[in-house]
Amino acid sequence: MSEVSQQNSLPVEPNDSMQEYYQLQQELLVTTVILTGIIFVFVWYFYSLSIALNYLLGACTGVVYLKVLARNVGQFGREKSQIGKSQLVIFVGLIIVATQWKQLQVLPIFLGFLTYKGTLIVYMLRTLMPSNSR
Amino acid sequence: MVDPTVASASVLAAALSIGLASVGPGIGQGNASGQAVEGIARQPEAEGKIRGTLLLTLAFMESLTIYGLVIALVLLFANPFIG
Repeated sequence: MSEVSQQNSLPVEPNDSMQEYYQLQQELLVTTVILTGIIFVFVWYFYSLSIALNYLLGACTGVVYLKVLARNVGQFGREKSQIGKSQLVIFVGLIIVATQWKQLQVLPIFLGFLTYKGTLIVYMLRTLMPSNSR
Repeated sequence: MVDPTVASASVLAAALSIGLASVGPGIGQGNASGQAVEGIARQPEAEGKIRGTLLLTLAFMESLTIYGLVIALVLLFANPFIG
């Protein structure tokens, strides 16, 4: 009888609780893509297509960066004993290409890359809303 | 002609910017990761929530390193002080 009650009180499987993490990861990526699309149109309208494309390049790299960071955090403690720095390599490569290639501009690319941070701020503000029960 | 003083000062500034920008976030990330692992060990049922919070925290902290990295890379590859 006690064994049965012990089995019933076993903690939830890690995979079940990880669903929440994967959901957050997906939500952040989708929000970043939506935010990128909106800002891309604004930059195209107020500046030029060239600057908007530079912005888009940075924002796409930001999405990849966020995905790699999320994958590293997901693997941390399971497959890896420390959080890797591979996501920074993506950013370093982007900035080096931006500084070496004459058609690219560093500032729009860098600001585009920071779109992911805007997403994080939007997410944090949404969780602070009193109507949000999370 | 590149002024050697400006060039050497730029390299020094690049080294300092990335070095100093890595110290604070490095300590913070180490602390956050350690506490997260401890939390997961104590409460495995809250693993998803803890990892989610860790992801947000690391993303915020790592952007500080990225600021220093940008300054260092611009000074090395697109230095505005060298004509």
